[in-house]
Amino acid sequence: MSITLAPKRRGSGLGLAMPAILLLLAFFVVPVALLLLRSVTEPEPGLHNYRTLIGSATYAKVFFNTFFVAGVVTLVTVLVAFPVAWALAIMPQRWASVIFAVILLSMWTNLLARTYAWMVLLQQTGLINRSLMALGIIDQPLQLTNNLIGVTIGMVYIMLPFMILPLLGVIRKIDPAILQAAALCGASKGQALFRVLLPLAAPGIASGGLMVFVMSLGYFVTPALLGGTANMMLAEMIAQQVQSLVNWGMGGAAAFILLIVTLGLYAVQLRFFEPKPEVR
Amino acid sequence: MTTPYLHINGIRKVFGEVVATDHVELSIAEGEFMTFLGPSGSGKSTTLYILAGFQDPSAGDITIRGKSILSTPSHKRNIGMVFQRYTLFPHLSVGENVAFPLRVRRMGKSEVDARVKRALKLVRLEGFEDRMPAKMSGGQQQRVALARALVYDPPVLLMDEPLSALDKKLREEIQFEIRRIHQETGVTILYVTHDQEEALRLSDRIAIFNKGKIEQVGTGPELYANPATHFVADFIGDSAFLAGELASVSGERAALRFADGTTVAAVPLHGSGRAGQAAELMLRPERIELATEPGPEGASLPVTVEDMTFLGNNTTLAARTPWGAALSVRLNFGHPLAANVARGDRLHIRWSPEAAHAFVRG
Amino acid sequence: MLLDFHKLGAWKWLLSGICALMTLFLLMPILFIIALSFGDSRWLIFPPPGWTLKWYEELFADPRWIGAALTSAKIATIVMVLSVALGLLVSLALVRGKFRGRAVLRAFFLTPMVLPVIIVAVALYAAFLRLGLNGTLVGFVIAHLIVALPFSVITISGALETFDPAIEDAAILCGASPWEARFRVTLPAISHGLFSAAIFSFLISWDEVVLAIFMASPGLQTLPVKVWTTLRQDLTPVIAAASTLLVVLTVLLMIVAALIRKGKSR
Ligand SMILES: Nc1ncnc2c1ncn2[C@@H]1O[C@H](COP(=O)(O)OP(=O)(O)O)[C@@H](O)[C@H]1O
Ligand SMILES: [Mg+2]
Repeated sequence: MSITLAPKRRGSGLGLAMPAILLLLAFFVVPVALLLLRSVTEPEPGLHNYRTLIGSATYAKVFFNTFFVAGVVTLVTVLVAFPVAWALAIMPQRWASVIFAVILLSMWTNLLARTYAWMVLLQQTGLINRSLMALGIIDQPLQLTNNLIGVTIGMVYIMLPFMILPLLGVIRKIDPAILQAAALCGASKGQALFRVLLPLAAPGIASGGLMVFVMSLGYFVTPALLGGTANMMLAEMIAQQVQSLVNWGMGGAAAFILLIVTLGLYAVQLRFFEPKPEVR
Repeated sequence: MTTPYLHINGIRKVFGEVVATDHVELSIAEGEFMTFLGPSGSGKSTTLYILAGFQDPSAGDITIRGKSILSTPSHKRNIGMVFQRYTLFPHLSVGENVAFPLRVRRMGKSEVDARVKRALKLVRLEGFEDRMPAKMSGGQQQRVALARALVYDPPVLLMDEPLSALDKKLREEIQFEIRRIHQETGVTILYVTHDQEEALRLSDRIAIFNKGKIEQVGTGPELYANPATHFVADFIGDSAFLAGELASVSGERAALRFADGTTVAAVPLHGSGRAGQAAELMLRPERIELATEPGPEGASLPVTVEDMTFLGNNTTLAARTPWGAALSVRLNFGHPLAANVARGDRLHIRWSPEAAHAFVRG
Repeated sequence: MLLDFHKLGAWKWLLSGICALMTLFLLMPILFIIALSFGDSRWLIFPPPGWTLKWYEELFADPRWIGAALTSAKIATIVMVLSVALGLLVSLALVRGKFRGRAVLRAFFLTPMVLPVIIVAVALYAAFLRLGLNGTLVGFVIAHLIVALPFSVITISGALETFDPAIEDAAILCGASPWEARFRVTLPAISHGLFSAAIFSFLISWDEVVLAIFMASPGLQTLPVKVWTTLRQDLTPVIAAASTLLVVLTVLLMIVAALIRKGKSR
């Protein structure tokens, strides 16, 4: 095969991207860089902001909350999303498209509207507590908001689509003949699942899981509304440092840690898994 | 000498290290159907793209009626082109696709309608005006592309392997249409293909491309009967090559000698060489005769039959010369020998002196 | 066999069951707020004792809600236009350009999507404090443009990648000048990508909370900011009414997007 002839192109070079490059430099790169700079210059030059962050028990709890919630959310979404994506990939088209539409709807519904719904559902006098009491499962309403349980439920709700969609893409690409071959080789359904289907879907699971984990780490709205101030997570703490305490040094330091973790995990994702951000 | 209509004058194109075309020289008459035939990567498309103005040559010139066209931008060259890939505008209907060149030329509505109708009729797609390209087969899409390329009556039409994505039967059908359209419109066509059958079926003349150079230009029969180089002989038609050396050279003819000392009488020689130089004897299998006796005047060789394959209209024999070279020979259905020949038989191949050629190696 | 729905046996029911539960889980909160917005319980009792439209009346009677919605619409529209225009230019450079480092540039344009919004928000807040852009329309537009642009770039360059440049060459040989070919052939042919990018950009700006909280001033706030501040005070059913309207808008835009996709495959 000869190389496709690429005729001379008329002025589609770097210049076209210039306006956007300048925009991002001025209002993204420079501001973020300045913010990070403030973490080592305010209130005075040095690394003391980072020392405080790492040293104090208050902040340790924030980090623990953040990573713990992100971890649990990732685990739960993977466990739910795998069977759902699997089913979606093979079920009759009509049903699949209905479920798919619901997924897209929930994904694109206003974030605050969704979080509001969970605040109402989970509150002491909310539908969930009342139903559980009516069924006699509990006598006292459970505390479901203003703690990490509420945050986790709300986050799982938000992250599920981000796990299902990439997984669906991966499972759809698996050739059914491979599993037919596994069956002919004598594999039972369970063996085929654990020795063939799961390993084949593993890159998708890892990639989607990493994405959900990263997004959860930096999430602001849902933890702030469902978690309450006693159960702060990292993003909320950054906002609080900057807005209420006007402590830019600490805010910058926390932002820097979040940035490093995020970009680090993103690099892992790019390096080891398909670099394919998908929008629908 | 009168100036040719279209003259490709020493075109050379270099991509970094790769020499895509090297001093391509060709004159094309008005109304001629000229085909560029050659293997993939031999520089056919590059030559066509330079004509279209999508590439600038590193050296050389292209003239139409003696005037260079190189400084004219593509969109002002008034050249038609059908591409290898489907290039219909996906958002426009068939009618609008064909009307596009007329619209950019700001032609009046009634004229546009009339011409679109005429062009679609030419490619036998009347009534398809409102169809969207995605709803058409590959063959239909290429016919629309042809209508679009012809609707503005360009004097020159370029076609870069337009049928290579289609299956054989469809390809033959559209080849037939292209011939008809060429006759009806009288447009000058430069056609690229790597399929010799297609080239032979369509063209007035064929230019054989190899490694960026034109090896030979001529009509199909000329190229077949008188290949100038080993490459051309190999590329056009089936042929068998027997390696040996020149025994004697006299003018344009030479006799050859093979490894075991067998010699054959003088045949037309291509390329200059002296006695003793390595050379090859080329034979067309369908012009070799098989006989029990050697031929007169040394135009024959003894062979041993090794295997026979019945292929319907002929039986193909795998044979070997006394010095061990393999060779295949066809016996047409009904040939008296076909029924009797057996493995191990010793026979003779014979040819008329003009059916064989010698090529100097090197 | 595991990838043949009808040969799954009992597993088929297990998978279907999980799917059904998950669908319910995703759908329930949305249906729940829609129902609540028509319920007449101020304390959000479900099922509500009666039905009413008073929360919608309250919503439409409050000029601050209307004002916030108009501000949101204005910002989202400007962001949409700029995001598509810049996204198109960037995509042309990324897909058609021939310079080194295109992969790096692509990654650069996608980073605002990957980075937690809170970082961008805090950084821009600091920058805008100096530039005096907090609480201004320009500030909002810039902030939202930064996060909308990656989606535009992905969508439009995706459309451009599937568009064979030979088609543009064909147009040029037909007599169209290079710019004419771009406007009359390339742009219409990737219009589905442009429309999707427009819808995404609009929705992103329209729904964006975090940046908006930082950019907002008492004088200028978007709908999500208004919802946010109200939410922090109490869970009034007015928010349910506002949320319902947002859901309706999302559904409408999703239908438009689906129609565009369908129109493309037609
Ligand atoms: N844009 C290009 N950049 C680099 N090399 C090219 C380009 N276009 C063609 N070539 C090279 O030039 C040679 C001739 O290519 P081409 O004209 O396409 O051959 P053909 O059409 O006969 O198959 C090939 O070796 C090909 O790889
Ligand atoms: Mg070619």
